[in-house]
Amino acid sequence: MTGWSEKVLDIDLSTLTYNTYPLDMELARQFIGGRGLGARLLWDMVGPDVEPLAPENVLIFTNGPLTGTGYQTSNRFSVTTKSPLTGTVLDANSGGFWGMQFKKAGYDVMIIRGKAEKPVWIEIKNDVITFHDASELWGMRVFALTEKLGQNNNKRNVLCIGPAGENLIRVASIMNDRERALARGGPGAVMGSKNLKAIVVEGKDRTTIEDQDRFKFLLYETRKLLAASPLTSQALPEFGTVVLMNIINNIGALSTRNHQQTQFEGADAISGEELTDKYLVKNSSCWACPIGCTRISRTEKVEGEGPEFESTWAFGAQCGVDDLAAIIEVNALCNDLGLDTISAGSTIACAMELSEKGYMDSDLRFGRADLLAPTVEAMASRRDLGSDLADGSRRLATKYGHPELSMSSKGLEMPAYDPRGLQGQGLLYATSNRGGCHMRGNMIGLEVLGLPKLIDRFQVQGKSSFVILNQNSNAAIDSLVLCKFTNMGVADEYFARVLSAVTGIQYATGDMIKVGERVWNLERLYNNREGFTTKDDSLPPRLLTEAPVDGPSKGWVSNLEPMLKEYYRTRGWDENGAPTKQKLTELGLANLVN
Amino acid sequence: MVDQRIYEMFRDIGRDLYTANMISSHGGNLSIRLGDRVIIKRRGAMLGQLKPHDLIETRLDRNDSGVALASTELLVHRTVYLTTPALAICHCHPRTAISFSLSRDEIVPIDNEASYLLKKIPIVMEEFASGTPQMANKVAEAMKNYKIIMLRGHGSFATGQTLDEAFFWSSTLEEACQIMLFAKQINEPLIEYRKMSESYNKF
Repeated sequence: MTGWSEKVLDIDLSTLTYNTYPLDMELARQFIGGRGLGARLLWDMVGPDVEPLAPENVLIFTNGPLTGTGYQTSNRFSVTTKSPLTGTVLDANSGGFWGMQFKKAGYDVMIIRGKAEKPVWIEIKNDVITFHDASELWGMRVFALTEKLGQNNNKRNVLCIGPAGENLIRVASIMNDRERALARGGPGAVMGSKNLKAIVVEGKDRTTIEDQDRFKFLLYETRKLLAASPLTSQALPEFGTVVLMNIINNIGALSTRNHQQTQFEGADAISGEELTDKYLVKNSSCWACPIGCTRISRTEKVEGEGPEFESTWAFGAQCGVDDLAAIIEVNALCNDLGLDTISAGSTIACAMELSEKGYMDSDLRFGRADLLAPTVEAMASRRDLGSDLADGSRRLATKYGHPELSMSSKGLEMPAYDPRGLQGQGLLYATSNRGGCHMRGNMIGLEVLGLPKLIDRFQVQGKSSFVILNQNSNAAIDSLVLCKFTNMGVADEYFARVLSAVTGIQYATGDMIKVGERVWNLERLYNNREGFTTKDDSLPPRLLTEAPVDGPSKGWVSNLEPMLKEYYRTRGWDENGAPTKQKLTELGLANLVN
Repeated sequence: MVDQRIYEMFRDIGRDLYTANMISSHGGNLSIRLGDRVIIKRRGAMLGQLKPHDLIETRLDRNDSGVALASTELLVHRTVYLTTPALAICHCHPRTAISFSLSRDEIVPIDNEASYLLKKIPIVMEEFASGTPQMANKVAEAMKNYKIIMLRGHGSFATGQTLDEAFFWSSTLEEACQIMLFAKQINEPLIEYRKMSESYNKF
């Protein structure tokens, strides 16, 4: 078999032992890798009786058959676990170099079980696995630790947690290659709960490719497609992901001040144009990526990667802040502490609204850029007010008696795109298996950017079909694992052909989308087993009842209910949101349930 | 009741297919998938002059009363929806492409746009008439791997997430075939300008 390494590394931190064994290739065919394979393995390992921060939870690191091949953006990898923030199945994926290096080390999967007695870090050099004492590293921040452990982009790569993960902050991320993040849902807290500070990899294997000629042709054609797309060849390289700030604001779909408005008067000041004009040092990119959307930005205080659009929005429009320098600095601080910027920013915005309305006693107010960094510092160390914010907006808002002010779905803070101006995006958040997320299917392509063609963003009838296709497609891409930005220039039909060329197994486009559907349904089964129901497929009440009073989305609320009904039917689920036996049989999942 | 936005989409693309000479007065059809439903042109309706009542909603997985009114090609559309991720289908009769389909097994465009977008269009053959299970299965099988295919001597089937997209592939194919025809008429040796174009027929 080509593409896959066909090998699993299984580590038990409780005993500081490991073993390796062959990957179940039938599972690999069905779930490919990355998110899909991770979800399938998690299903067997972590049931409803396991608390997310207990030693019995696992971290499953996966790459995919395309990882390390050199195909455009084939650098990504995934981590799967039960989320300490939401209690749902969680996968987060990241770019950079670590994923490629992990594949070179000769593994498709690495499972981390148990809990070390005292802090450790793991060093992997193909078959040589070494456990090191990390007592002296505990407490170190990400940038310094990454350097200390010898980060070298093409040879040796560092993945670690910062103080936020150590302190079991439920919005803590795992960082790799210094500033890339497995960000959402709190995987950093799971790593911290295991007393695992870092995993360093050095590899020497090459991913083998079945049909080199076909692969080279597809590589060439993909390069042409990415070069021809204005998004991947101009907008993202020139402005980074923050190019979306003005676009989304102009259509009245930029959630502002904890979703109280849908347009931000300060959007220009925190836009991609402003970032490029005033703060950009240079572009950077992940391994094997010709797009190069990464910004290296500099202020008087910091220089580093980012900020991305969602981070800029979370600390910007969502907090009513138009000070881009302050946003760049707090973004860098989150990276150094190991915090998810979306959840951190949106939780601070929630605290700002609670405080402004007198429900909470703090100095936080919309527009207070000066309080962003101190609040993030306090969150990561669970200090003072930070202890209330450390576990996300839902727990914060509930503590202060106003859970409706948490702008989250299933407990995960939603990103920038406001469902009142983007009906499909709202359905997507409500049904996302890891909670309110824009990376589990993204309707911005269809509803805003016209990819592949523009559809009416206010249309309700028929929206579920688009959402479902997007969710399935994204689950497949996350299982390959590729960057979704590639999909802005390259259609799914190319990914199926590349997968076929690399593995020698013929996947039609529909076969690949079917893998995505299988993954989505398995994740849904997982959440249902955890006790989630249709009631959890929801949005904050504000989005369902409070229409914007001005701007291009004036008068619109999220029309979620009819879309949800159509969604369940279209998914082949019953009225309780559970996949039917017929659907599970069709997807080869029937054996997982009674 | 079909949403007004959806009707307008059918109306506009139907009109454009007719004015682009890609269908006869009553030929071709369009459909979209809405979950477990299909919205398709009424049998006998003129695509160039669609009225709201010309759109028929019917089930995807089995017949209901809508089948009595729907296009004769409903079975093909359903089978394609059930075997591919398509959310929209455009079936038309592009004349130049049909002409090329009579003498070859695939169309490999020579112009830049279609080379970039389509690479290769397979041609499938089915002697049975429109709307038969044999034809439906043959078209659907080919469409697992290609977003647009030709049925020899009959016309094209294109899929997309939207009608807009499916129409785009259809018009791109016809444009490519017209260019191939003109190039044949000019009858001069072609100068290859596309790197790795020899691989297009393996796409």
